[in-house]
Amino acid sequence: MPHFVEDPLYLSKSRLKSDLVAHDVALPPARSNKEVYVKLHKKHIDQKTDADFSSDEEDRVQDVAEEDPELPDPRNLTDDGLKAALLKHGVKAGPIVASTRALYERKLSQLLQSDGHDRPNGAEKAVLYSDSEGEEEDGQEDDADSDSEAKEETMEEQPQQASSQVDLNFQNGDLHYPQCFLPSSRLVVCASRNREPDGNSGNALKSSERSQPRCSQIPVGISKASSVGQCSRLASGVPSGSQSVKANDCSSFSSQTFSITQMVEEMESRRSPSITTNAERDLNGGNVKERCSWSDWPDIHVVDTYTLKNQSLYYTPKASPHKLRKKELVKDTLKDLFPDTQTTSTGIYATRRRPIKGAAGRPVQYVYPDSPASPSTLERREVERRLVPIHIQILVFIILTCLLYLIYVCVEDNSLSPFVALLQSLSQGSEDEHGLLLQDKTQDTPALSAQQ
Amino acid sequence: MSSTSQKHKEFVAEPMGEKPVMALAGIGEVLGKRLEEKGFDKAYVVLGQFLVLKKDEELFRDWLKDTCGANVKQQGDCYGCLKEWCDAFL
Repeated sequence: MPHFVEDPLYLSKSRLKSDLVAHDVALPPARSNKEVYVKLHKKHIDQKTDADFSSDEEDRVQDVAEEDPELPDPRNLTDDGLKAALLKHGVKAGPIVASTRALYERKLSQLLQSDGHDRPNGAEKAVLYSDSEGEEEDGQEDDADSDSEAKEETMEEQPQQASSQVDLNFQNGDLHYPQCFLPSSRLVVCASRNREPDGNSGNALKSSERSQPRCSQIPVGISKASSVGQCSRLASGVPSGSQSVKANDCSSFSSQTFSITQMVEEMESRRSPSITTNAERDLNGGNVKERCSWSDWPDIHVVDTYTLKNQSLYYTPKASPHKLRKKELVKDTLKDLFPDTQTTSTGIYATRRRPIKGAAGRPVQYVYPDSPASPSTLERREVERRLVPIHIQILVFIILTCLLYLIYVCVEDNSLSPFVALLQSLSQGSEDEHGLLLQDKTQDTPALSAQQ
Repeated sequence: MSSTSQKHKEFVAEPMGEKPVMALAGIGEVLGKRLEEKGFDKAYVVLGQFLVLKKDEELFRDWLKDTCGANVKQQGDCYGCLKEWCDAFL
């Protein structure tokens, strides 16, 4: 420490120890006092600095020149500072004590030097150019990636938007069902006109009759609405506030002309591209809704009954966008399921049902391979192979019974006389032997009696 | 290499107790003398250094080289012996 002279007396024991180690001074025994350390410190280090001051200073200067000026000399660092510096270089240092400090100091200086060698242009420049450039490139790449991702997202979002539109439509439909009860003029006219030629039932006629007088009134509303400045198509479809007012003015009849075609038409109009009008309409719809809820509720019930009656009359198969959307969605799933089917104009798919395996006389398309037989079945088969078939068994049994019967019959008839004769002769022979034995016994007994 | 040496086996076989530093594998008379001069008179003192360096091979080898001027083989023997002892008894 050439810059500030430290009295070794004020240094801690561990610091003294580490200094001694750093100066390659042999440490005293572990139990020695601080005084010993101080003595050693004075003896070796201070002498060195005093004696070789110039050279030591030069060495220090060289060392400092070698290292980056910003980076502190590891020997001046505290234990914690040294540890932190090591951690900065990715080295997880253990406890920095007297015996380990020198090692860690050297390690840190090595790391610093290696860093310096790694960056021949200097740390600052390296920071300025190489590393940060890479980061910038990375950032640009990230940007590009994010751009492309954003594009992809937009691409992906389009169907999502469509679906969300569908959802919106759903929501709108849900929200503005009351709105549907208010007549849109064109629809009413169309409906009534459509109805008139058909003229099926009295109810239909009645409804058309009822709608007709309103037809005269509602165009006024339309004209007002269009004068307000809504888009023509939308305006025609949309019951604007004025129109709804008009409708309300028309009293309870206004909502009687509700029909599904109106709903369809309104949905179409709602689907139209301009968002502002959508919003406007939403607002109007909200107003209308409120009005409906306030004034027309009882009428709506009436309308419901009417519409229930006249549904078939008013229903026109003009596809609602809502339904179209639905169909498209269904189409997509169907296409996924059956990619090879052809699209038809009706949008209805006739797909061959997949054949059920072996059912209903259909040819079995897939036969399971013969599974390897279990050892027990193999054994059984072996046994069966050895056994004589049943019909042969029966045949043998019959033959045997026949043979036995024949033998029985023969025996009954004494036709087998030689056998019988032989048997008789045998029996006679045995009887003769019996007789001889009896004679012997009789001969013995008199002898015994004579002895007695 | 180190695991085959008799010294290593003997050191790893039992708790080191109060064994001198020369009982360590790779530490002969010369190195043991140097270590004793530096205060590392018992094997457990070297073990303490080994442990305080967190069993780091590189640091321990450096330390051993600095303290007693052990060559690479001696460093390796000493490190392996202490490591195995720690695995067995710590």
